[in-house]
Amino acid sequence: MKGLTGMAMRRSRLTQPFISILKYVALVSVSCVMLLPFYWMIAASLMTTAEIIRTPPPLLPAEPQWRNYLDVVYAVNIGRAYLNSIIVSALTVLGILFTSSLSGFAFAKYHFPLKNVLFTIILASMMIPFFVILIPVFYIVKQLGWLNNYAGLILPGVVSAYGVFMLRQFIQGIPDELLDAARIDGASEFRIYWQLIVPLSGPALATLGVFSLVGVWNSFLWPLLVVQDSALHTVPLALNNLRTYGAEERSLNLRMAGTVLSVIPSVVVFVWLQRFFRRGIALTGLKG
Amino acid sequence: MASPQDRVFTTSPAQLASSAGPRKHRRRIDPKIWWAYAFISPVLIFLLVFSVVPIFFSFWVSLHSWNLITPIPEMPFVGVDNYTRILLYDDVFRRALVNTFVFAFWGVTFNLVLGLAGALLLNSRIRWRPLWSTFFFLPIVTAPLALGMMWTALLNKNFGLVNALLGSIGIPPQPFLSSPEQALGCIIFMAIYQYVGYYVVVFLAGLQGIPQDYYDAAAVDGANARQSFWYVTLPLLRPVMLFLVVTNTIGALQVFDLVFAATTGGAETSGGGPANSTMVVVLHMYNTAFKFFRMGRASAMAMVLFVVIFVITLVQLWLLRHRE
Repeated sequence: MKGLTGMAMRRSRLTQPFISILKYVALVSVSCVMLLPFYWMIAASLMTTAEIIRTPPPLLPAEPQWRNYLDVVYAVNIGRAYLNSIIVSALTVLGILFTSSLSGFAFAKYHFPLKNVLFTIILASMMIPFFVILIPVFYIVKQLGWLNNYAGLILPGVVSAYGVFMLRQFIQGIPDELLDAARIDGASEFRIYWQLIVPLSGPALATLGVFSLVGVWNSFLWPLLVVQDSALHTVPLALNNLRTYGAEERSLNLRMAGTVLSVIPSVVVFVWLQRFFRRGIALTGLKG
Repeated sequence: MASPQDRVFTTSPAQLASSAGPRKHRRRIDPKIWWAYAFISPVLIFLLVFSVVPIFFSFWVSLHSWNLITPIPEMPFVGVDNYTRILLYDDVFRRALVNTFVFAFWGVTFNLVLGLAGALLLNSRIRWRPLWSTFFFLPIVTAPLALGMMWTALLNKNFGLVNALLGSIGIPPQPFLSSPEQALGCIIFMAIYQYVGYYVVVFLAGLQGIPQDYYDAAAVDGANARQSFWYVTLPLLRPVMLFLVVTNTIGALQVFDLVFAATTGGAETSGGGPANSTMVVVLHMYNTAFKFFRMGRASAMAMVLFVVIFVITLVQLWLLRHRE
């Protein structure tokens, strides 16, 4: 036994530095690949059109062309798109948080007829891919008169079956005694939800919120269908307009500037709220 | 003590006591259940209107010829005609099905291997772990549309950085996205790049859930690093892998944004080029529905892909559960 561990240790002492160098080589090269598109996006967004089409391309612009960002604003009104995206994302996420916690609370803490059937239906609806219901939802939104307005962008997204599931799991962990104590003190059921359940569900709400925020901010196909009026374009739609704005070699710098502007919020939110994001992914992953 | 069920359904201590005896047929309905129904009603109404009704509606439309404008009672019934058309006569749809499979298969396979390797690397003793992991995860939060545009710029055949880098090591410039042979490969590569971080996070969580005791036990039995990986780590990661394969295959079969952003279309269609070499099902469905207004045919495509996803998921669950 002792000899065996000793041998293993001696071997590992010899190979350890070698393996650890290999590890860092792997980490650095993978990181280079991961960062390459981001680096090039920023570098190209600051180049002149002449620099963009030079072969081989310069690695950095000789003189940063901040004007490109101004041109993006003129080309596709990205400011308005930002405002639209902020309104749509904020209201959608608030809607998801409210509806998910409300019914998560009901499913976790009440007993009522048909509870299991209804919960199963909600879980089953998680399995329906969006493309299957795309045409009917589009038709329903059209019939409701929600095409080309905020309602069409926001309302179909304010309910998340996954959110209901996640919040139910979390709220089940809140002790019943707390609820009973509040009832004895005369609190109404809604007040229990609002003043007890919501504050105690903070971590779950944060995780769900960050997740939905990134999803809504990046969503493209649905806004593409619902909105024709460019005054209602969200950031991905503005970016898509930029994609078809002029010939590639003449507008690549503008496209990249637009891409930088569209990517900044999700990257900032991600770096800032990483732990919620990662916890959320790990949660979904381990439940399987 | 009363069970939770009794606590909700009874309102007075007297009833609480009586609930221990034989069940009464008529119980007073607790007012709290109306609160519960009120609390779940927003979710139920929205899911009904925007998920449950649409799925049946979608199937109904797939049996009709519809242009979105004809009133619903008047749309002509065509039976399975839409299905036979897309499956037997629509070459683009069949091409799209094959491309979608190829895309999902290689994307998920590569990412399983790369994600596990990345997670093992990040789980080992390294410095600056948060920094490395941030790099891995950055693409997950970036919109597929933006990533598609970033890679399109990098892979430009004339003045892209990738061809310049290849040129510096003596490889001739490649056509990448403008060649029917290479375009789908480029799209798969972009998807791998985008989602590898997701696999890494899930694998990392899985790795951290394996108790150290198991490795200690394996070491006592004389297992080397490779053996403890094959006989401890991999078997214990099976549930995590099952989850990753199933969810990501479902997701990959629905790819749209990335292809839309990175490829060019025909005169009246969006994306999928060159020569439909990157056409995928959801994109073809989008074109059929919203460029040509053939809602019936597009719904039939959606139904076919839905069934395909369902069957593949069942097969995967069965395969991965039974290979014990």
